Formats: sequence, C-alpha cells, structure tokens
Amino acid sequence: MAQFNEDSRELAVKVVYYGPALSGKTTNLQALYQKMDPKVRGRLMTLDTKDDRTLFFDMMPVYFRAAGGVKVKIKLYTVPGQVMHESTRRIVLQGSDAVVFVADSRKSEAASTLAYWKDMLRNLEANGLDPRALPIVIQKNKMDLEGIREDDFADLVRSPNVPVMPAKAIHGEGVLETLGALLSLCYRDLDRALGLAKRFSLPEKEFIGSVFSRVEAR
Amino acid sequence: MKVQQSVLLQATPLGDLLDIRSFTEVCHSFAELYRIGVKVFDDTGNKLVDVKIGNADFCGYLWQSPEGRTQCMATVQRVKTDPVPEEPIPSTVHCFAGCRYAIQPVLYEGDVIGRIVFGPFVPDDLVALPESLARISPDFDEKLAASYMNKIRRVPQATAEKVLKHFAEILDVLVFTGHKNLLTARLHIEAVQESYREVQEKNRQLEGAYQALKELDRLKSNFLATMSHELRTPLTSVIGYSEMMLEGLGGPLTAEQREYLQIIMDKGESLLGLITSILDISKIEAGRVKLVVSDVDVNAIMRDAVATVTPHARKKGLRVSWQPSKLPAVQCDREKIRQALINLVTNAVKFTPSGGSVSVEARADGDDRVAITVTDTGIGIAPQNLGRVFDVFFQVDGSTTREFGGAGLGLAIVKSYLEAHAGTVKVASAPGEGTTFTISLPVMASGPAALAVRASPTVAAG
Repeated sequence: MAQFNEDSRELAVKVVYYGPALSGKTTNLQALYQKMDPKVRGRLMTLDTKDDRTLFFDMMPVYFRAAGGVKVKIKLYTVPGQVMHESTRRIVLQGSDAVVFVADSRKSEAASTLAYWKDMLRNLEANGLDPRALPIVIQKNKMDLEGIREDDFADLVRSPNVPVMPAKAIHGEGVLETLGALLSLCYRDLDRALGLAKRFSLPEKEFIGSVFSRVEAR
Repeated sequence: MKVQQSVLLQATPLGDLLDIRSFTEVCHSFAELYRIGVKVFDDTGNKLVDVKIGNADFCGYLWQSPEGRTQCMATVQRVKTDPVPEEPIPSTVHCFAGCRYAIQPVLYEGDVIGRIVFGPFVPDDLVALPESLARISPDFDEKLAASYMNKIRRVPQATAEKVLKHFAEILDVLVFTGHKNLLTARLHIEAVQESYREVQEKNRQLEGAYQALKELDRLKSNFLATMSHELRTPLTSVIGYSEMMLEGLGGPLTAEQREYLQIIMDKGESLLGLITSILDISKIEAGRVKLVVSDVDVNAIMRDAVATVTPHARKKGLRVSWQPSKLPAVQCDREKIRQALINLVTNAVKFTPSGGSVSVEARADGDDRVAITVTDTGIGIAPQNLGRVFDVFFQVDGSTTREFGGAGLGLAIVKSYLEAHAGTVKVASAPGEGTTFTISLPVMASGPAALAVRASPTVAAG
C-alpha cells in the first residue's frame, strides 16, 4: 500500500516500469518527461554506475496538490532489464503500488517476455506483494515494428483485470494512455483503502487530470 | 503494509543532500560577489549556512539596546519560519530597521525542503532610517546608525530577487546531484547486501547438501564394513569345508571332483581377498583403523610378500625376485605394511605379461627412512592416469577390470596405510615397459598414527 501521511496529508505512490532489457522502459519515462507539464514533474534521474553496472535505473517524480488539500507524490521508476541486475530489480520493486510491464510485442521476443513476466511475479512475491491484487498494466510496446504477435500476451498468466495498452513509446504514442490506465487502477485501489474521494475530496477525475494537466496543450 | 521500507521512498533532509562545507564556500563567493549576506535553512528551521557581509556594525549597534535586541530577534524568527509557497516565488521580510530580507523556498520534487535567505540589504527606495528606530533607545545616534547602514549593500528589490532566483537554480542542481549520489550510494549498499544475502542463502543450501552427503557417505562405509564382515563368515566356512573335502576328510574323491573343489577353493580365496579389501577400505573410511606398532624386519616382510605371489607368478611364467638388505628394523604395524607390500606385488604380477619379471628391493631413504621398491616389466600406466591410480575404485581402463579382475581398492589401501605411518607411496611408469612403486617409511614411528588414517584426505574423498 502507498504511504499516506495523515498529518501532512501527503500521499506517496510508487510506480515501477518493469520488463525485459530494451523493451522500452526508459523510453517511456523519457516520453513522459517530454510530454508532462514541468510544473507537475521533476527531473528525470538516471542512475547508472558505469564501472560495474550494479545499479541502473531511472526515476522521475510527479506531484501535485489537490484542491481538497491532499498532496500527491507519484514516483515513476524503471528497473534494470539486464539479467545481472536481479538484486537491483528486487530492491526497486520493493513497496511498489503499481506496475507497468513493458513488453516488446514482436513474436521473436515472446520467450524473453514470458521469462521476465515470471521473474516479475517471483520478485513481487519476494517483496510481499500480491500480483493478483496489485494494479498492473501490460504495455504492448514497439507496435511500429515488423513481426508483431497477434494475441494479447495470452501466455502471461494474470488476473483478468490487467489491461493491455498498445504503444510506440519511441514516438511517444500510447505512453500517456498506459500511465493513465495504470493510475486509474491505482486510484481505485487507493480510494478503497483510504477513501480518497469521500474523506479527502479527491475524485478520480482530479487525480488523473492533475497528472496530465496541460498535456494536450503541449 | 509493506514488508520492507524502500530507501527510494524515504525523505531526505536538505543537509544530507549537500556537502555543507563546500556549499558554504559557494555561498561565501556569492556573498562576496553581490555584497549581500546569504543564509540557508532546512525545512525544520535548522541553519545550514550563514554568511554575513556588511551588516555587522549596523546590527551590532541596534543589538546594544534591549528593545533593538527584541525586535531583531523577532525579525530573524520571521525570516526563519514565515510560511513560504510551494512554488519558486520569492517573498520578503521587512526588518524594523528599514532593511529587507528576500526569501526563496528550496523546492525538490514538489516539496519545500528549505529556504534561502538573502539579506539584510537596503532597498534602493529607502530614503531615511525609519522614525520608529529612534525610539528603541533614548541615546540613539541617528547619524552613527546611518553611517553604519551605508556599509550594507543598497540594491533594488527586483535585483535582489533576480540574484536570489539565480542562486536557487544553482542550489536546485546541487540538490539533484546530491540526491542522485545519495541514492546511488545507498542503493549500491543495498544491492551488495542483497547479493550477499543471496550468496549466504546458497551457501546454507550447499552446506546442508554437503552434510547430507557426508552422512550418506558415513552410512555407506558403515554398511560396507558390516556387510563385508557378514560375508566373510560364511565364506570362511565354504573355503574351510572345501579344504576338508580335498584332504579326504569326507571320503575319497574322483579326479574330477578334486578339480571342481580346487576351483571352488581358489575362487573362494579370491572372493575372500576382495571382501577383505572392501572391509579394509571401509574401515579406513569409517576411521576405525588402529595401528599396532612393533619392530619389524623389512627382509621378513619382503620374503613374505614374494612368497605369497610366487605360486601364481610361476603359473603365469613370471620371475619374482627380492634382494635381502642389511637395514635396521622399522617401527610400524607389521600386518598393515605386509598387506601394503602384498598389494603392490600382487598388482605387479597381475599387470605383467608372461615372460616378464617382478623384483622387490629395500634401501635406506635418507637417514631416518626406509624405501621399498616393487619393479615390474608390465604394461605400464599412461602419464595422465598416474595421478589417479591411488583413488578408491579407480582402474586405469574400465576394460582392464574384466581382463585383470580386482575392485580397484588395492592401491587406495596401500596409500592409506602408508599415510597412517607418516609414509608415502610413489609411482613411476613407462607404458609398455613397466612400473615402479616406491613406498617410504620412517624408521621411528611418530605420534598417534591411527589419527592419521582418520584424517587421510584421499580416502575421505573416495
């Protein structure tokens, strides 16, 4: 569950972009950085220890204060896709509130996609997170390439309410929609647990609208 | 609730994101450049940096009167704690003495994590000291105060705010860099810890598996020792009764019956030999061998060993010889060393084809050791196998098992027995030409030898 500080009325939400190496996780964050209003997002931080590559991930904060007074801080992370970063992947996944699984939709990548999906389920469970209850969105990325699979990842065992969002992250397409779908699931989760709408007068429309404010104009 | 608190979600105070000493230097150079004091506070009001410039005399003068002191402290309090917006917008605090402070919030990821204070400075539209200032003390010297104030930088409010904004932008980069470095360092530690935990877990599993294997190995050795013993008892009867029949105790036998009985006896003997070897090696592995040390005549042992194989060697058409020596008696376990030498000589006979020869010799090996060599003109051992011939159950060529028989225990037993005596066994060989085994023993026995058997690594590894 997200961190909610009753005193300061601050809500901290952790969103993790998970997936195989080169599936487009960082590209997603870069596109969001370009598209989002600088007023609601911070710098895109890339942690990359070049000498030993133990650590590698990106982080971008998104924040706004709702009209009802609640301050929402959403942190978007990518996890390192390379196999050697298993322990960093697990650390970054700690305490996440929602996950975007970025998948390369080419047929040739099906095996690797499945392996990383299973790897994610395993690491979620290792962190005490229930993959059936956690808000998850699968992004069907790289739709602009040849040899796209026709199914919606039927081989990834998951609960039926995990949406699949098509995207061409490299062209910035589907990136906002993916995050939107995820935050929508995430909001409902938080609303059930905290009563965001009733107790804190923060309806879903405002929650989503604040994150994507002035996006259309850009 | 979360199982673990992620370091990535922990809030970090401004002081932890900056190297305060070098940041203070930056503030000093800024203050020098613009002639305005700089203060930086974190979000809880802790003063991280305080650089004063130009205002010492003026403020010090006001501070002399109790009223001035009170008002001054109130101003400082406002500078420190007046609420600031969550936006990069400057605010102003007016000093009772006519000066001003410009305040800029330090924002990071949408949070106010501190504030920068520029001042005091004198706004350029200030014409004269406020009249109220004269009331702080009956002997207030307006002229003196004004001269002190002239030492403070006079600057338009807008310029001060512009400089302040510029400074805030630099601080923003410093904070971002600091945060990035902090995260890198903390996560690095966490990643290493996580990897360490994984390795520990694997080690634990390996240790468990190793213990289980060790226990299995012990059980196997026990089983072999027990079984060998149980097998030997009835076999002794088989051999004994065959012998009795051969001697005619059961009545007269036909020539055919005698031949069959002889075969039963021979095969029984070789089976007994095999079982004895297994019993020996399992005793060694189970650490149950004890040495009985006495003074042993090397010549007697050599004679004995040669006599044991002579009948078989003759049948095979081999010449077995030994040279008596004038060596002193050796302190050792007679039975074990005799067995070791018999194993070597038996091997030599086994692997030497018809027409060849086997010779046994003893010589002094330095001052305090005796060496016995067994040389044959047999098939020899290839160099790549020389290192393994002492391993339990090892035979150079699987196919030789059928041709020459044996369980591959003889040399392992030799090595273990020799090591138990603090002795050695070495082998030299040329394929097709022959092999020489050399055992070397200390003349004087030393220490608790039975322990050496227990600790013998080769056998334990077998």
